[in-house]
Amino acid sequence: MHLEYTPEQHAFRAEVRAWMEAHVPKEPLVTLECREGYDQHVEWERTLASGNWGMVTWPEAYGGRGLDLIEWLIFEEEYFRAGGPNRANQNGIFLLGPTIMEFGTEEQKKRFLTPMAKGEVIWAQAWSEPGAGSDMAAISSKAVRDGDHYVITGQKTWSSRAAFADWGFGMFRTDPDSKRHKGLTFILFDINSPGITRRPIRQLHGDTGFAELFFDEVRVPVENCLAGEGEGWNVAMATAGFERGLMLRSPGRFQATAKRLVDLYRKHEAEAAPAAREAVLQAWMSAQAYAYNTYAVAAKIMAGGKIGAEASLNKIFWSELDRSMHRTAMQLLGAHAELKRFDDGAVNQWLEGYIFSLSGPIYAGSNEVQRNITAERMLGLPRVGAG
Amino acid sequence: MDMLLTEDQLALAETVRDYLAGTHGPEVLRRLDAEGNRDPAIWQGLVDMGLTGLLVPEAQGGLGMGLVDAALIAAECGRACLAEPLVDTAFVGVPWLLAQGKLDQLPDVAAGRVTLPLAHAINPWVADGEGVALKSVDPMRNLSASANDNADPHLLNLGALMSAAQLVGLADAMLHLAVEYAKIRTQFGQPIGAFQAIKHQLATCAVAIEFAKPVVWQAAQALQDRRASAAVHVSHAKVAATDAAMLTAETAIQVHGAMGYTYEVDLHFWMKRSWALSGAWGTRAFHLKRVDAAVLGGTLAIGPEHTFA
Repeated sequence: MHLEYTPEQHAFRAEVRAWMEAHVPKEPLVTLECREGYDQHVEWERTLASGNWGMVTWPEAYGGRGLDLIEWLIFEEEYFRAGGPNRANQNGIFLLGPTIMEFGTEEQKKRFLTPMAKGEVIWAQAWSEPGAGSDMAAISSKAVRDGDHYVITGQKTWSSRAAFADWGFGMFRTDPDSKRHKGLTFILFDINSPGITRRPIRQLHGDTGFAELFFDEVRVPVENCLAGEGEGWNVAMATAGFERGLMLRSPGRFQATAKRLVDLYRKHEAEAAPAAREAVLQAWMSAQAYAYNTYAVAAKIMAGGKIGAEASLNKIFWSELDRSMHRTAMQLLGAHAELKRFDDGAVNQWLEGYIFSLSGPIYAGSNEVQRNITAERMLGLPRVGAG
Repeated sequence: MDMLLTEDQLALAETVRDYLAGTHGPEVLRRLDAEGNRDPAIWQGLVDMGLTGLLVPEAQGGLGMGLVDAALIAAECGRACLAEPLVDTAFVGVPWLLAQGKLDQLPDVAAGRVTLPLAHAINPWVADGEGVALKSVDPMRNLSASANDNADPHLLNLGALMSAAQLVGLADAMLHLAVEYAKIRTQFGQPIGAFQAIKHQLATCAVAIEFAKPVVWQAAQALQDRRASAAVHVSHAKVAATDAAMLTAETAIQVHGAMGYTYEVDLHFWMKRSWALSGAWGTRAFHLKRVDAAVLGGTLAIGPEHTFA
């Protein structure tokens, strides 16, 4: 263990900081969950790409900078220090990208990764179905092989970004006689393909971030399948590991929230409940704990290790931390908490953040499912219903 | 920048874990409880492994290792609910003497001939010292009343850090005991560990422990490096480890049901040590106040760019 940055790492931090200070929009963007905000966020993705910051850990051949995970963490810290916007392409760069890197053919890497890093193609996920939420193995949308195409019929729901995104990825049942985890295939598709209908779903905050996707005999070329036919479950588990594990929620995001919460507490200290003070300290402590853990996981991966069931612990920790920090902020704001904009016209980002934080323990596999995974795979407790 | 625990560090911790699992199991705790809680043979075994000299410089007959190594071993001592005063003497007393340049006693400590009872103003007692005996709820602790006028902050930080390290080991052990019990105890026709009500509580403990550990290792490195902010990190570690251990203790007894409330089930040894160490070397409130002074008081830089401030 050596907790000093190298001169090169300090220099890299300075480089990121200077660029972010020059480029991060001074005013917060409109929420990503509506047309106007989505367009603003896509434009930001392209600005990032113009500085070659799209996905710093990817090889240069695929639009990255070939940096290691410590440099990625430094990048993320500076990104959130500067108040960088949410990433419109997070489903692509943090989830699908690493999955393609692991399972994709050379041709797929070239075709999909570079436009992803450059923000030219924005990706939606298409995991859930009406009958397959926490129980993802219950997927029933079909992909029937017809020559060099799959013909997809079915329905996906809660598809993040699908209201506006360009491409999507998800699992489809390619073997009609298969059950549960078998016979599923991981397929990438153009959401504008003939036969796909998107129905945006109005979310808790009133905007339309995710959507239902209806597939009516949609023809998708076989080369859009990732790994082999029938390999979908293994691929999806790797993607879910990235989602819950290292990449999706870097610590900088929570450390920045904790810092803003400290500032908010100072403003409201006179009328704050004693418990709020401890909640604020807990926020800082937990965000720091999450950062140390992420640095440790990064070091482990760099030394050749892998993320296993601890991805579930991670997901439980950051999602409940985020909710708790925003809950504390709402309590501190008191009667101002309900206002969508404060008296000075500024958007109440704590309210937006609180609403979003309520989705954290649900998406990417509900925390109940994560606790089952932790109990069964890490602690070795018997599976539900086992004798 | 590298948060990795090295293969050597993990291998040493594993060696100690295996050794203590083989020589200091629950049956030994029961024997010590019944027949007197110190055993020269157990102490000699620790000496023979070199653990009393872990932090003693090589020139004084030790291994010359650092606080991260010691914290990892302290966690193993917690896991085994070790009765002997190894952590106080070798991982708190030795680095404190070293910091003051007092090297005279170190060869005797390394050789296991001397233990170091530690008096500090933060504690209303001395462990394994002289004086009027005080009775602890933990049958393995030998406390005595003492006039503690030493308020040395470095000694306090070392004591708090090593308590935190033991607490994460204790928490690990209690989680393990509860998991093993939940696998074999059958009700309603299935192991109770198959019920989600049990699983989810145990998973919550696993989360608390998993995220307390890196805080403890990071604090150990901060104190090793004598970083200006080390005290805050030690306090953070003590709070996180205390919370993880207390949560796991209460969850573990609940999972054991009425059996957990008996003296027969070994869980109580670990639970009582957790209570003891939670209050030792600064309570949760004491350490939270130090975090408060740093974070809300503004003496520590906070934010994403200050992860290792």
